[in-house]
Amino acid sequence: MKKIIITTAALSLLLFTGCSQNAPDLDSKGSSSNISDASALTGDTVSINENAYGNESGGQNNSSADGFQSVYFDFGDYGIASDMENALSKNVNVASSAGGRRIKIEGNCDEFGTDEYNYALGLKRAKSVKDSMSSQGINTSNMVMVSFGESNPVCSSPTDSCYGKNRRVDLRLVK
Amino acid sequence: MRYLLLLLLSLNLFAVDATLRIEKDVEQRSRIALEDASPSVNEKFFKILLSDLKISGHFLADSRHNRGDLNSNFIAPALKSKEYVLRYALTQGSGTKLIIRLLKASDGTQVFKKSYSIPTTSKAPFLAHKAIYDINKVLKYPDISWINRYVVFSRYTTPRQSEIILADYTFNYKKVVIRGGLNLFPKWADANQKSFYYTSYAGVIPTLYKLNIYSGSKQRIISSEGMLVCSDVNKNGSKLLLTMAPQGQADIYEVSSSGGSKKRITSFNGIDVNGRYVDNESSIVFVSNRLGYANIFKKSINGSGVSQVVYHGRNNNAVDAHGSKIVYSSRESQNSFGKNTFNLYLTSSRGSGTRPLTTTGTNQFPRFSTDGSIIQYIKHRGSGSSIGYTNLTSQQSLLFPLGGRKIQSIDW
Repeated sequence: MKKIIITTAALSLLLFTGCSQNAPDLDSKGSSSNISDASALTGDTVSINENAYGNESGGQNNSSADGFQSVYFDFGDYGIASDMENALSKNVNVASSAGGRRIKIEGNCDEFGTDEYNYALGLKRAKSVKDSMSSQGINTSNMVMVSFGESNPVCSSPTDSCYGKNRRVDLRLVK
Repeated sequence: MRYLLLLLLSLNLFAVDATLRIEKDVEQRSRIALEDASPSVNEKFFKILLSDLKISGHFLADSRHNRGDLNSNFIAPALKSKEYVLRYALTQGSGTKLIIRLLKASDGTQVFKKSYSIPTTSKAPFLAHKAIYDINKVLKYPDISWINRYVVFSRYTTPRQSEIILADYTFNYKKVVIRGGLNLFPKWADANQKSFYYTSYAGVIPTLYKLNIYSGSKQRIISSEGMLVCSDVNKNGSKLLLTMAPQGQADIYEVSSSGGSKKRITSFNGIDVNGRYVDNESSIVFVSNRLGYANIFKKSINGSGVSQVVYHGRNNNAVDAHGSKIVYSSRESQNSFGKNTFNLYLTSSRGSGTRPLTTTGTNQFPRFSTDGSIIQYIKHRGSGSSIGYTNLTSQQSLLFPLGGRKIQSIDW
C-alpha cells in the first residue's frame, strides 16, 4: 500500500506540474545577415477612380422619382405596414402607366445593422414592395431590385424620425 | 488511506486552471527592451514596434522608449534584467531605411542583425512589422506572418459613395485603392494578397469584380439582382461563397472563381447571408433569420440539414470561421436604437467551448488572422471607434484608433 501511495503521489506531482514546453532556441545562424530583403513591400499598388467609369450609383438618388413614392418600414422589419397602403396604391398607378419601361426598386436600411445582413434586409424590403405590386395586378417582369443597405441615407441625425426615413424603399424608372 | 488517494487524484482533476496556464504562457515569453538609435526620435515608429511585440504574444516588452548607440554592444545596467535588447535605427528621407540589432541583454552578444530599405516613407509601418516578424522567427517562436499582411476595407464617404482602402494592421499606413462610386465588400482573392474581390454598383445591378492591386487589371466575375457579396474564398482560391439573389431571394451559393459554375447551398424564404467555410470546406456556417432573429447556423455543402450553432444572444449577425473555430458578434442589449452592447464570442463549429472575447462596447466585424490565432474586430465605445486585435493564446488585446468615417466591411 505504501508503494501505491508513493507512486500516486509522484504521478500527482507530475500531472500537477504539467508538461513543460521548451524555451525557444536561438538561431545560431541568424547573426550574420545584413541584407535588404523587404522586396514584398516595394511593390506599388494602384489607385483607381471609379467615377471615370460613368457610375450609375453616383448622385443624390436617395428618394423616389418619376412620380413614385417611397415606402417606409419599422425597425428590423420587412413587412408592409397598413399606413403604407396609400403610397403603394399610387405606385401601382404610376407603374401601370409607365408604358413597360424598366422600374428600379431600391431597398434601404438604417445604420443599425452590419455587413451583409443589412443588405439582405434592404432586399427583403424591396421584394415586399415588388410582391405587393404584383398582387395588385402589376406585371413585375420589367422590375429590377437592388439593395443599398445602409449606404444611402436621407439624413444622419441620431433621432428616431431620421432613422425611420432611412428604412425605406425608393422606386424610379431605369434611365 | 483511500481518502488520501482520492484527495491526491482530485487535486489533479482541478489542477489545470486558467491561472496556471497564463503563468506558463508568461514564462514562455521573452523579456525584451527597445533601444532607439535613430538620428531623430520617432515616437510613432517606436509604438508600432512595441505593438508588434505585444500582439505577437511571444514577448514581454518594456514600454519605455530608451535611446542607444546602434554600433555599441554595451547594455545599460537597467536593461540587464531583460533577456534581449532590440536596438534599431530608422532613417527617413526620400525612402526609409531600418537597421536592427538583437542583443542578449546579459552580455551584449549580437544574436541577429538586419537592414531593410524601401523607396517610400509611407510604408515604414511595414518595416517595423517585418523586423519583428524576423526576430520572432530567429527566436523560433510560432509564425506571425499575419503581421505583414494588408488589411483591405471599404468605408462610406457620402450617400452612395465609398472608397476601398489598403492598410497595415495598425492602420498607421493607409492608401485608397478605389475611390468614387459605390464599391463594397472587399475580400482577398488569394493567400499572397495580389487581388481582391469587391462588389461594384456601377451598373444597374451589383457586379462582382476581381482587382489586381499591382497591375490594376479588373476581371468581371458575376452579376446578380438584389445583392451580391463575396463572403469567403476557399484555401486554394478556386471557389467562392457568395450571397446573391438571382431570383430576388438572398441565399448562399458556391461559385467557381471564374464565375462559371454555380451551386445553391441554402434555400430559405428569409435571410441567409455571410457564409464561411468550416471543417475542411465540407460545411459552411452562416447567418440566418430562420428563427425570427439573426443567428448562426451550420450546413453541409452537399447535405440538406441545417443545425443551429449558437443558443444565446438577441441578434448574432456576423460570423467568421477558421478550421473548426468560429467567432461571432452577439447583441446582448435590447435597445432598438442607439447604444447596444455587441460582444464577440469564440466557439467551435459544433457550438462547444464557447467563451467571450470582449465585455464592453459594440464589437463587430470579427475576422480571424490567416493562422486563426488572432481576432480582428471593430470596436465602438463612447464617441470613438477603434480597430482591435485579440491574441487567442496570450489573451492580449490591442486597440488602434480609427477615423470618423463608417467602415462598411473589412478583410485581413
